[in-house]
Amino acid sequence: MRDVRVFYRKKGAMKFVSHLDMNRFMTRLINKAKIPIWFTEGFNQHAYFNFAVPLSLGFEGQYEVLDLRIITPDYSNEQLVLDLNKASIPDIEFLDAKEPILKMKEIVFAEFKVIFDELNVELAEKINGFFAREQIITQKTTKKGGTKDIDIAPLIKKWVLKENELTLILTAGNENNLNPNLVLSTFFESEKIAPVDYSVIRTMIYDKNLNPFK
Amino acid sequence: MNEKEFERLLLSVQKPGRYSGGEINSVIKDKSKVDVRFAFCFPDTYEIGMSHLGMKILYSQFNSRDDIWCERVFAPWTDFEEKMRENNIPLFALESRDSIKEFDFIGFTLQYEMCYTNVLNMLDLAGLPLKALDRDEKYPLVVAGGPCVCNAEPLADFIDIFFLGEGEEVDLEVIDLYKEHKKKGFSKVEFLKAAAKIEGVYVPSLYEVEYLEDGKIKSVTPKGNAPKTIKKRIIGDMDTAFYPDKFVVPFIQIVHDRAVQEVFRGCIRGCRFCQAGFIYRPVREKSYEVVNSQAKCLCENTGYDEISLSSLSTSDYRELEPLLNNMLEWTQENHISLALPSLRIDNFSEELLEKIAHVRKSGLTFAPEAGTQRLRDVINKNVTEEEILSTCKTAFEGGYTSVKLYFMMGLPTETDEDLKGIAELGQKIVDMYYSLPNKPKGKSVSVSMSVAVFVPKPFTPFQFEPQITKEEMERKQNYLKSCITTRKIDLSMHDSSTSFLEAVFAKGDRRLGAVLESAYKKGCKFDSWTECFQIEKWNEAFSECGIDPDFYSLRTRDYDEINPWDHLDYAVSKEFLIRENKLAHADTTTPNCREKCSACGANCYGEGVCFERR
Repeated sequence: MRDVRVFYRKKGAMKFVSHLDMNRFMTRLINKAKIPIWFTEGFNQHAYFNFAVPLSLGFEGQYEVLDLRIITPDYSNEQLVLDLNKASIPDIEFLDAKEPILKMKEIVFAEFKVIFDELNVELAEKINGFFAREQIITQKTTKKGGTKDIDIAPLIKKWVLKENELTLILTAGNENNLNPNLVLSTFFESEKIAPVDYSVIRTMIYDKNLNPFK
Repeated sequence: MNEKEFERLLLSVQKPGRYSGGEINSVIKDKSKVDVRFAFCFPDTYEIGMSHLGMKILYSQFNSRDDIWCERVFAPWTDFEEKMRENNIPLFALESRDSIKEFDFIGFTLQYEMCYTNVLNMLDLAGLPLKALDRDEKYPLVVAGGPCVCNAEPLADFIDIFFLGEGEEVDLEVIDLYKEHKKKGFSKVEFLKAAAKIEGVYVPSLYEVEYLEDGKIKSVTPKGNAPKTIKKRIIGDMDTAFYPDKFVVPFIQIVHDRAVQEVFRGCIRGCRFCQAGFIYRPVREKSYEVVNSQAKCLCENTGYDEISLSSLSTSDYRELEPLLNNMLEWTQENHISLALPSLRIDNFSEELLEKIAHVRKSGLTFAPEAGTQRLRDVINKNVTEEEILSTCKTAFEGGYTSVKLYFMMGLPTETDEDLKGIAELGQKIVDMYYSLPNKPKGKSVSVSMSVAVFVPKPFTPFQFEPQITKEEMERKQNYLKSCITTRKIDLSMHDSSTSFLEAVFAKGDRRLGAVLESAYKKGCKFDSWTECFQIEKWNEAFSECGIDPDFYSLRTRDYDEINPWDHLDYAVSKEFLIRENKLAHADTTTPNCREKCSACGANCYGEGVCFERR
């Protein structure tokens, strides 16, 4: 029995599959691909796998991570990727499988590319001004249903605007997780401008030293 | 509309997975390389339509031919419909995202009467004129199949062709004929005339209906060479019949989110209220080897970890024991759970219960349908109280603590005594539970009882019967409530305005087409969804069209009255239905097909249970 970390890309129609539905999708994909996966024991036995950080509905993901537990010792990582891709659809493409090095909870940052349909000079200046602020206050709904003001500036590790492409490195993981949609909606609201269309790709997830999560 | 705009639109509605397409096993073809494009439309949401076995069978079968590309279309939910209309997006097929107006065929499956407004809405969204007469050669042919076709007269104005019975053969025969006609220059009128000669094809525009002064039908006359009666089609040999080796596996959760394996068609029982029990005759089984290998194949190709056996009454399957033994071998090994819906009480053995318990403990559901033995005899639900109690006893001793029972209200000859019987049966189950020395420790019992309003349907012995009035239903509901004295019984009785409308459309005629169109134009759609159902608008539509709905649903029909469906032949003869109706009124049961043949007429196909060796 050994753990394997699988890297895959999520795009196209799969962008509309929520995290909960991804769980079901992956269960069936693993069954269909006949992966020798370990089943949990106990009352409700199920195939054992774990996603790293959930991807929001509508986002493309280029560095998605899934941990599996394999029971057959001589089943190679190459074979695993081959079998998964054979059973899969083009919109979920498996890239690699490796032995896990870091623990899931060591994920600290995620990198996003926000691509604006159109970006004029004026808007670009506003974006630059927005991210240069020391404090970026936004309202977040609490679990009790109320709202509270939080400062998201400390959660933005890095931002670069190049032409119509905004690269963001944001805090990710279980404890603090910042969604680029929240950053953008805060921007539009605080600048009092009508939202413009954009799409989001999560390009990478990192550990605390900004090394790719492995 | 480009990809990006489409994606944005999807993100602005609930459950975008309903419209995205791209699921595992969905079929993509090169449209320049096919001769016929078929839009298979299910007039309800994705979650409901994707659960429907008939659609899966025909989708795979059509697509198994290189010259046909069959795609799926579902009714968009109201939020997405609004966006589609705002952005001028015509109704599209999930696979290609092409507008279905470009297709050769638009085919609907009609599973229940309350979907009719959705059919009109989908035609409109597709950019087609609603009426068949207003659609010339420029438009796709609009065809429909499914159980409601046994009386689809209310839709006669809107549909070009109805397919009677099982579609596997007749659909393809019509498609082939279409290909021929297309080659020699297509004329819709000529094509429809030619199609009407194929058995099982009903072209409603080729029939003239005349009415008497009292509103009843005077005559139904075929025009030209159209046949006088149209006979339903069946598949004779189920072992060699087409069955899909894979299902499209949805991304979002659907109603029946599992592999479904058909074991037989039809039902031997002949419960007198049940339309399916008559229109799918005769019973035709698959051999257990075929069922087992098809089921295994389905699981392998879909990755589903749950499979259910499908039929109208699975415990009547003669090879259930060897089937379960064979299936449990591979399902257990692969962590696949096996579900057996539609089990009957009377032959629910202890071993069977053990086998199911082995797999997964889900709810235990029974449908006694009526509260007293007398009324159960009337409806020919040949189940005794003893059988119900002993099955519940077995189940409770096996660890179950809740059962669910289904009943109907407003059945022919029903009295308050029969309603009281429902409450008493529930009480007896509760009492029996507490009398068991080995009942599950420290657990309370829960008996859920759901009581629906009876809807008389065509091609059943009760087709002559009236439905109860709303006032009578309310009185009966209050009476039944007053009969229940324990909290262990959970009684649910839904508001039944839809059942009343269902009865009108089930037994309606062509004149209802105007009502349907009017209600649709007033905004009626998704009528089977309580949040969408608007009874006031329906009432307005009836009165504006000068049609009294009670004429269709609240009237006892004489045996010799011409019904709107009498020119359709579903292999059960009207004489048989009349015999059965008389037996019902004499509180007399009819043995099931395996005990004794009742000469219903379904032996005309030379197939199935009528010719089983016993």
